Amino acid sequence: MSGIRRINPRRPFRITREGIRRIVLGEEGDAGDITLSPVARAASKPLRLVGEATATLLVVAHSDRGALDAPAREAIAAAAILADPATAVLVLVLGDLAEELGPFGADRILVVPECGNGAFLPDLEVSVLSDVIDRFQPRHVLMPDSPTGTGDLGRRVAAALDAEIATHVVELKPDSVACYRQGGTLLARRGLPRFILLDPGAIDAALPFRGAGERLDYAAHAVAPGLYRDLGLKPVAGAALPLEEADFIVAAGNGVRDVPTLEAVADLFGAAIGASRVAVEDGRFPRDKQVGATGKTVQASVYMAIGISGAVQHLQGIRACRHVIAINSDASAPIARRADLTIVADAQAVMQALVSETARRNWPGDALDEARADG
Amino acid sequence: MDSWQLRIAVLVSIGRNPVSGAARPNRNDLLALELARKAGGEVTILHAGDPNEPALADYLAYSAAPLETIPLPGGQDIVPALAARLQGFHLILTGSRTEGGEASGMLPYALAKRLGLPIVAQALDLAVAEGQAEITQFLPKGQRRRVTVGLPAIIAVHPMAPLAPRYSHLRRVSGQSVALPAPALTESASTAWRTEPARKPVVLKAGEKKSGHARMAAAITSESKGGTLVTDGTPAEKAQAILAYLRSHRLIEF
Ligand SMILES: Cc1cc2nc3c(=O)[nH]c(=O)nc-3n(C[C@H](O)[C@H](O)[C@H](O)COP(=O)(O)OP(=O)(O)OC[C@H]3O[C@@H](n4cnc5c(N)ncnc54)[C@H](O)[C@@H]3O)c2cc1C
Ligand SMILES: Nc1ncnc2c1ncn2[C@@H]1O[C@H](COP(=O)(O)O)[C@@H](O)[C@H]1O
Repeated sequence: MSGIRRINPRRPFRITREGIRRIVLGEEGDAGDITLSPVARAASKPLRLVGEATATLLVVAHSDRGALDAPAREAIAAAAILADPATAVLVLVLGDLAEELGPFGADRILVVPECGNGAFLPDLEVSVLSDVIDRFQPRHVLMPDSPTGTGDLGRRVAAALDAEIATHVVELKPDSVACYRQGGTLLARRGLPRFILLDPGAIDAALPFRGAGERLDYAAHAVAPGLYRDLGLKPVAGAALPLEEADFIVAAGNGVRDVPTLEAVADLFGAAIGASRVAVEDGRFPRDKQVGATGKTVQASVYMAIGISGAVQHLQGIRACRHVIAINSDASAPIARRADLTIVADAQAVMQALVSETARRNWPGDALDEARADG
Repeated sequence: MDSWQLRIAVLVSIGRNPVSGAARPNRNDLLALELARKAGGEVTILHAGDPNEPALADYLAYSAAPLETIPLPGGQDIVPALAARLQGFHLILTGSRTEGGEASGMLPYALAKRLGLPIVAQALDLAVAEGQAEITQFLPKGQRRRVTVGLPAIIAVHPMAPLAPRYSHLRRVSGQSVALPAPALTESASTAWRTEPARKPVVLKAGEKKSGHARMAAAITSESKGGTLVTDGTPAEKAQAILAYLRSHRLIEF
């Protein structure tokens, strides 16, 4: 034997609350057993606004099924970062709200449930936003430049008020905004205008503090029926959608062998199908289904990862997904740390159970099929 | 009704090839032109700017409609000049966004305000009947929305509209193009914008000291979510756990 003392590179370590790796000599433990406690840390964040607020920044966003999406949270974070210690972040939520917005940086919240669920109500929304601006006199109004939602509303109200506006903002600083011009070859910059419409990704939504998250009462005035009529939404069948546009994705990794059953599960939820690189490279799925760093970046509300370990390169593609559900036989797979719900089980058994559990139930799937037939 | 003729104006701007910088038709505006052709009616193409811009002739190649140009030097506000010419049209179609100018997508809204007309953006398709336009709108996440609006109205076309404008050299050389009388010049609109060469935008972050590990964790996990682990139970019970989760977040309706 050589005289060199070997050190086990995988010897036990702990992750401290500050996220620092500590090797504790002589202590037995699972090598690489990383236990983060993000919940505990979120609760311990300090309040940003302590004193009395004398000014307001307004954020406007649509909710979807009671929750805000990533661009909406970025807009709130942007306002919280810009706000000085005497400025409150007021969030106007168009649609119902079932989650706390304090952790995202909101100090005060107004909710207008009448405006949600993808309804086209420009007259009502313009009236609500004009009224809120009138009452709270915000220095700036920030909103996601989402094509049909607040992007449309912001342009309407800015035109109506003849106010200065910057759209498709890709860079926000405390004193300026910048957006692309000439097909992305120039960056145009100006001081902060009244209306700031943000492109996704311009803001890091992680905050070291939280907002007060206090909900205020608000009742919208009714508006007379105008020139617009909403004839309703019509979904495009999940399978026919490009992955980037899908709202529900059922994704398969190396742990899925039975593609027809996976397709049945996707069909059950009207979901689009995605895959990990390994599953694509094995030839089980076409290249355009690959999700991740070298595949597609998706924004689905639900991402169901079946038999996917959750490598960093894969997780990069699903950052914007709101609900991640994992089915994996290994409880310590990295996907379990990203997932909101992890089912530790054999993928095949759970997929089959999903199909049979819902087949027994007498659910109104017929309506869905109808929608698909004429979609 | 026979004598009623649908009159459509299509607003076109000059696009730029992002690589060479060469002037060209704006693809978004070509889609508006194609949607107007599909809707039927008497189409007029309208541009505010330099009537001698060669790229304008390319618009003629995509449509049999005549092209009118309001001569305006750069830096002038185009809204009053366009609004003056747009009286009497039933439909005003625009693209979603210019390539060359401010690229803000504000023009249709500014015109709507000035003319007192309704505006519907993100149009994928359009049909006109009985003094109304029925529009199919693009919504993210695989949704489409149908709305109607009373005419006259402004409609901005979505870049993903399933339309295929077709180029015809014959139309390009035989199409008619006129320069309208130049409007009285106003004071050039002062602009608050300054341009600089493009670079990767800096993401706005809250100031916080973080260890490398915390940054990595933040990059791959989303905040403040612990995540539930279900290890026990039969496959059927586990399937029910998934369905219960989806139901509790209103993600499925069964
Ligand atoms: C430069 C680079 C770029 C990359 N880009 C991408 C990319 O864009 N997208 C991407 O996905 N990957 C990408 N990868 C590859 C990535 O690192 C992983 O190798 C890959 O994502 C792993 O795929 P997987 O999870 O399907 O397979 P595996 O790592 O083999 O994991 C399979 C998982 O399934 C589980 N499992 C196995 N059997 C069962 C069962 N019967 N029931 C339930 N669970 C089961 C296992 O516990 C395991 O967690 C890239 C890698 C590199 C180096
Ligand atoms: N100079 C112009 N003349 C006519 N129409 C224009 C002009 N500039 C913009 N438009 C129209 O307005 C739309 C939106 O432009 P913008 O608001 O500048 O991004 C474009 O897609 C065109 O249809």
